[in-house]
Order: sequence, then C-alpha cells, then structure tokens
Amino acid sequence: MKTLGIMIKRNIKLFFKDKGMFFTSLITPLILLVLYVSFLGNVYRDSFIMNMPDILLKNEEFVKVIDGLVASQLASSLLAVCCITVAFCSNMLMVQDKVNGAYQDLLIAPAKKTTLSLAYFISTFISTLIICMIAGGCCLGYMATVGWYMSVSDVFLLLLDIIILVTFGTVLSSIIGYFLTSQGQISAVGTIISSCYGFICGAYMPISSFSEGLQKVISFLPGTYGTALLRNHAMQGAFKELERLGLPKESIIDFKNGVDCNIYFFDKQVPVSTMFVILIGTVIALIMIYVLINLIKTKKSEKA
Amino acid sequence: MNIIEITNLSKSFKNIKAVQNLSIKVKEGELYAFLGLNGAGKSTTISIMCGELDADEGTVIIDGIDTKKDVQKIKNKIGVVYQKSVLDKDLSVYDNLQSRAALYGIYGSDFEKRLKELSELFLIDNLMKRTYGKLSGGEKRRIDIIRALIHKPKILILDEPTTGLDPQTRKLVWDIVNNLRKEEKITVFLTTHYMEEVTDADYVVILDSGIKSAEGTPLELKNKYTNDFITLYSVNLEDVQKLGLPYEKLPDAYRIEVKNTKEATKLIMEKPHLFVDYEITKGKMDDVFLSVTGKKLPGGLNK
Repeated sequence: MKTLGIMIKRNIKLFFKDKGMFFTSLITPLILLVLYVSFLGNVYRDSFIMNMPDILLKNEEFVKVIDGLVASQLASSLLAVCCITVAFCSNMLMVQDKVNGAYQDLLIAPAKKTTLSLAYFISTFISTLIICMIAGGCCLGYMATVGWYMSVSDVFLLLLDIIILVTFGTVLSSIIGYFLTSQGQISAVGTIISSCYGFICGAYMPISSFSEGLQKVISFLPGTYGTALLRNHAMQGAFKELERLGLPKESIIDFKNGVDCNIYFFDKQVPVSTMFVILIGTVIALIMIYVLINLIKTKKSEKA
Repeated sequence: MNIIEITNLSKSFKNIKAVQNLSIKVKEGELYAFLGLNGAGKSTTISIMCGELDADEGTVIIDGIDTKKDVQKIKNKIGVVYQKSVLDKDLSVYDNLQSRAALYGIYGSDFEKRLKELSELFLIDNLMKRTYGKLSGGEKRRIDIIRALIHKPKILILDEPTTGLDPQTRKLVWDIVNNLRKEEKITVFLTTHYMEEVTDADYVVILDSGIKSAEGTPLELKNKYTNDFITLYSVNLEDVQKLGLPYEKLPDAYRIEVKNTKEATKLIMEKPHLFVDYEITKGKMDDVFLSVTGKKLPGGLNK
C-alpha cells in the first residue's frame, strides 16, 4: 500500500509539474470558453429568446433567467469536456514513462506491474478530479454572478456527475493508454480527443442540431449521457424558474430538447435515472475490461 | 564464488540472432566487462539478466537463483545504470529516489537511513532539493548510480554508463565506481565500447554479432591477440629500417612491432646502441578488438 501511495504521489506531482501536459489538458475547455465568450453565448441567447412572446422579454426577471440558462449551458459543456480531456492528458504520463524509459526503470524493481497500473489509474483520477472540481467551482461562481437558480441537491448531483464522468474518462484513457507506446501515438490520441470529444459529446454544438443519423450514432456513446446529466443538473433550476414565470410546458420541453437535457434513444426519451445507470454501468464494464487486460498481460509475462 | 552464471544463452528477434549460445561466469566482487559494438548483444543479455526479456534457450543464474524461477528475487539483487538517464526530470532528486526506493519496499526511516549513507558516500546532500532535470551531466550520473544502489544490490550493472559524457564526467563516474567497489565490495557488470574502460576490468568478454569472440583478463587478451611494441626515441629512420620490423612513425619517435616481450629483449641485447631511450608496451585493447572481430571500435581514448 505504501508503494502504491508513493507512486500515486509521484504521478500527481509529475502531472502538475509538467507544464506542457497540464496546459494541453486545458486546451479544449479553453477553446470552449473562447467560443462562448466570442459568439456561441450570444448565438444560444438569441436562439433561446427567439419566438418568445414580447411580454416575457420585457420582464427583466425572465431575461435574467435566460442569461442564467446560457451560463449553465456553458458550465455543463465545459465540465463535460474537461472531465474527459484532462483525464486523457493526465494518463498520458503512463505512455510518456514508456517512451522515455522511466517505465523500464520502474519495472526493473520487484514491485508488481498491477501496482504501477493502479497507481497510474488512481493518480489520473485524483489529478483530473482536482482540476474538474476547481473548474466546477469556477463555473458555479460564474453562474452565481449571472443568475443562480440551482438548488443544493442540484449542486450535489452536479458534483456527483463530475465524479462519475472523471471516473469514466480515467478508465477510458487507461484502456487506450495501455496500448500506446510512442510519442507519435500520444500526439495522435491527444489531438483526436481534444478536437473530437467536444463535438461528439455536444459541448460545442447541441446534439439536437446534428443530423438524425449522427444523433442515433451518438446516442450509443455513454459520454452523451454524461453531458446530458450535467445539463439537467445545471439547468433544471433555471427551467423551473422559467415555468414559474409563465413559460408554457411545451416550450420548456422544446428548450430541453434543444439543449440536450432530453436525450432520445431511437425516439424514446431516456430518463435521468437511466442516464445514471448507463454511465455507471459503462464505468463498471470498462473497469472490468481494464482489470482483465492487466491480468492477461501479467499472466502472459509470467508464462513467458 | 560465481555470482552470475549464464549457460548457452540464445535470444532472437524474428530473424536477428541477438545472442547466440553465450556462456559466462562472473565472480563475486569482479569488474566484468562486456565489450562490443552496438547490436553485439550486450543490452539483450542485460535485459535477460534483469528479467525484462525471456531467453529462447539457456539459463541465467544470479546469486544462485534461476531467472526463470524467481525473477522478482533477482530484481532485489541487481541495480542498473542505463546509458540514458531515466529518472523523472521534473521531480526533485529526493522525490525521485523516494519513489524508486518505494518500489523495493524501502520507506520512511529505512529510506532516510539508506539515503544518508549514499549521500555521504557520493556527496550529494546539497542536491536533494534540486530538480533532477536541471542538474549537470555529472550530477545526474551520480544520482543515477545512487538510484541503482538504493536497495543495496549485490550486482551493479552499468549499461554503457559513460556514452555521450565529457571526459571529466567519465572520470568522475569511474572514480565513483572504483570507490564503490572498494567500499561496498559490489560486483560490477559493465557493457561498453570505450577501450580505456575495459583495461581496468578483471575480466573481459568481447561480443560480436551475439557471439562470444574472445575472453580473458585484459593482459591475457593483449598477450594472445596483439604483439608488443617498442617505442624508440632519439634514433634515425635509417637505423629503424635496418631492424627489418614493422614500424610506425610517431611525432618524436618510432613504434616498432615485435612478437612478444622475449623478442623485444633479444633485440635490445643484439643492438644495445639503438636502445638508449625507449619503452616497451603491450598492444592496446583497440588492437585486441580489431584482431578478434576485424572491426574498429568508435570513440574512446586508448591506454
């Protein structure tokens, strides 16, 4: 256990001291932030108020809720991306160790390979969680300044979403990273994840704006439900407020469909509880796959 | 007592035969040198010894333990200094050594005690808080050696430890290794392609394309594979040519090749007027390597 603890400490320190790796992990969330500040925020705001009756738009309280809604959409998008990209960048330490020979140096010692793998896993989880919790805190702070509509349970559920998504990102990156052995592969995976994940999880553009075929494909990806969970817990307070201010239920459903709070699996709406089940189930399945890969690899090397 | 016994070791990578039927015995406390060009099979042999690679054939016994039976135990007996520094450049020296010691189950006060011993031996107390990546080449090598010794191994494997280092740092590394052999009575297994590093070895094996081409003490190898040389000062070319022996013109002298020391003595007795200012030397390890493999080793100063 002490070996595991010291190796976790080593990995976390390395991640935060390697400025390149640390800042690379923040590129996608930063791009998202720039997009929102420069135009995406306004685009969403305009789309939200489009077709709204004038009487509502003249209500200052209503406009404030809309601003709060945009802020919570930014927050949920940012967190959805952060949980995955930071985990991937943090876990690239495992591959970097293989590339620069440090892993060979670790294996020359009698510590078990599984201990090293577990150390990478836990340290990635902790590093990612630290960053995502700080990002979550900043997002909540921003939402509080723009317009706060979240309940205490919403905040806790949002934090729970972050924890589950970070675990998902950690285990997914652990499985992929296990098979990577070169700097080129690190760059390729890093680039793909940074550029693509924001799109496929609906952070840059709502999934509802994609073509029907693509929506169907995306509905098979577990990360989609992670984004939807964050959206629901960040935005449901604002939706309740809109309802209180007189916005018809049908309009709120349209709103929810438009911002991916409602996800449809072959035209059937997926309830929030099912989203949790899908995401947690995926995490458990991926953890089992990762353990299995490690066991098979360890047994193979013992046999050889 | 033999601390390393390798018998009929073979290892291939697809069609490349990296090591072929290699057998060696290393005595406890020896400085044992593996000499060969890149691709000779030196690093492959080390990887098999450390349990990183499995042999296709043959056995490797380290301190009485077969690598195929209990490689984990063997890992406690071996410390390796790689050609390239492999410690974490962004961490401090202390953090690096702490994490590596933990892999051997050395923590807390045991770690602090061992670190103090090594720190006193290598004079690195002032480097502990420094970032490893910001150290000079010589300082890094010192820390690399300490990392290899953190668990008190019986065998220190130096895999081309001075390649790419400046002469001063190379000397520093060798001073440390020699001191270590004196203080800790450790067995040193060296792979190198620098000639001057093997002249001080107790035993040398020359590897060529995975095959053991020659072995012996440096003196035995020199006697067997090279001639002796007489360097004659204050003589003219005509006198040297009259000897009828192969010679080489040096800036202030002539270097004459003779079969052995006996023949050199005979020559001196026959022509004493020529041998007023002279010296007799054995052939160099370069000559041994060239004679054995037909290849020249790159780099290194010759002794």
